[in-house]
Amino acid sequence: METQKINQWQMISLALLRVLIGWHFLYEGLAKLLQANWSAASFLLQSRGPLADFFRRLAGSPELLSWVNLLNIWGLILIGLGLVLGSFTRTAGVSGLLLILLYYMCNPPFVGYFYTLPSEGNYLVVNKNLVEAAALLAIVALNGGRYYGMDHILHKLLRRPSLRKKAEA
Amino acid sequence: MGDQDSKDRENTKGREPGDGIGRRDLLQGLTGLPVLGLFGYAAMKQKRYQEARVAAATEAAPVPADLAEINVALLGAGEQGDALMNAMMKIPGLRFRAVCDIWAEYNLQRAVNRLRRYNFEVNGYEDYREMLDREKELDAVIIATPDFWHAPHTIDCLRAGKHVYCEKEMSNTLEGARSMVLAARETGKLLQIGHQRRSNPRYLHCYEKLLREGKLLGRIVTVQGQWNRAVKPDIGWPRRYAMPEERLKKYGYQSMEQFRNWRWYKGLGGGPIVDLGSHQIDIFNWFLDAMPSHVIGSGGTDYYDPATHEWYDTVMAIYEYRTAEGIARAFYKTQTSNGSQGYFETFMGDQGTLVLSESEATYSGSIYREISAPAWDEWVRKGYIAAPKLQEVQEETGAALDVRETVSPDEHRIPIRLTDPYHTPHLRNFFDAVRGTAQLNCPAEIGYETAVTVLKVNEAVEANQRLAFTPEEFKI
Repeated sequence: METQKINQWQMISLALLRVLIGWHFLYEGLAKLLQANWSAASFLLQSRGPLADFFRRLAGSPELLSWVNLLNIWGLILIGLGLVLGSFTRTAGVSGLLLILLYYMCNPPFVGYFYTLPSEGNYLVVNKNLVEAAALLAIVALNGGRYYGMDHILHKLLRRPSLRKKAEA
Repeated sequence: MGDQDSKDRENTKGREPGDGIGRRDLLQGLTGLPVLGLFGYAAMKQKRYQEARVAAATEAAPVPADLAEINVALLGAGEQGDALMNAMMKIPGLRFRAVCDIWAEYNLQRAVNRLRRYNFEVNGYEDYREMLDREKELDAVIIATPDFWHAPHTIDCLRAGKHVYCEKEMSNTLEGARSMVLAARETGKLLQIGHQRRSNPRYLHCYEKLLREGKLLGRIVTVQGQWNRAVKPDIGWPRRYAMPEERLKKYGYQSMEQFRNWRWYKGLGGGPIVDLGSHQIDIFNWFLDAMPSHVIGSGGTDYYDPATHEWYDTVMAIYEYRTAEGIARAFYKTQTSNGSQGYFETFMGDQGTLVLSESEATYSGSIYREISAPAWDEWVRKGYIAAPKLQEVQEETGAALDVRETVSPDEHRIPIRLTDPYHTPHLRNFFDAVRGTAQLNCPAEIGYETAVTVLKVNEAVEANQRLAFTPEEFKI
């Protein structure tokens, strides 16, 4: 990777993007946690597109569904915390990216698909899920946790001396 | 990694040389914390706002100072027990003392935890006899167990001196239902059966104001009821909470599968005609002020696997009533395909049609005036019914009205809505009766009449013929 300069404004905007996405994840998880009997079933059941069978099968099995619900809620919360704090940002970012792509592929806004569950606005292939996924990709690629995030400290603490020497050489 | 380090060093102003973590590093690293604090603050505000809204929408009447507390136990903490518990949360003056469920690993634990969270000191029991032995202070027991347990549970609770609210169907057998009525009479304790529409303000309004006082429908000639239910997979259970086989057998179940899906098994439940139909057929008897004289039925396990669904998933029944005004016929359908058009009851008289449903979401209530019937303006002024919907202006479409068609009647909405959970008014009626301030809306005798009316459908389907009721059949 070529060494590039990143100025204060770039750092701040990257951190802002990270924190806002984290907030969104955190609240999505928390709201589901607090809502008694929340279930992904109806979202999964209206799945369209190439993976529809897979998502519908998840909704069809009570055993699997209870795992999906649990993983989704705690996944959202942990990813949210990671992004807001900027700790383990790459892990959180990649996990968030994968999670959102799952949502995207469950209800893809492709031409000729119609959904009845909440969506605001009109989309053609690109929806807000995809935009958020792309934003996470940018955060992961630019290692966003290092600016105004815990990774800034964690990185220094966890860095192995051998690597440090190499870097200094 | 190395690139990252050098990049980092170059781009962060004010960093001390070397690898120590400086004040600036800390400040940068902990930027997320205040954001997290802000999030916590916002989330808390949001939660309080939502709670306040729920509280405002469901605000209970102020508790009178002299209101005697009623000690309550829940027997059966499954899906229906859960619904009843929710419905009771809004009734003042109740103190939960005990919960009993044989599925101690799951249902019982969940209900006990929940009630403790609401600051009730409840004890959990697996065996209801032990509960009755130990909990001497109980005034009332709410029973929401599978149908085949209703008779033994109710009778033992009544004999232990408790008032009982028992879910419908009163029993899966008429002998069971009859012994419940007798036990209530013997002990002098109250027994309310859970046909909760009997206390629903909209149903009461329609019966008392529209049918009895206003006689808005004229003579009722036909009745129709339906419950369209969508196919769904059998009910499962988390494997790690499965009950030991020994306990299942002790309480009359062959397996966890049968325990969870008892409604489909002969000897345990009565199938959808009993689970769903019973609620609505009960309204036929009530609104017609009569018991049926005959029934024919057609049904079968048409959709599901009959090995695990012994009771009919699809039933159509036609009753014949001899009302004070003449013959009335009532059709009821419950079926398993999809849930469109849901559930409602329709009463058609020579002056109008009443369509109503327990569901607040759809068909919550409309009454249609036959165009030749006397005007209903008086009832609109009294607030019994809403003003008629404006008819759309007829456009010149060129289509001629066929001579056989009649002009469509005026539609008036029934202006009564229930904002509480569906079971709250019926439970409130029960507890008011316990306090001696009300009469039961569905005492054991009425539950028995409905059981006689509904269980005969399964008999008619099996016999594949028209069956007659005798007036004595409904009496004990």
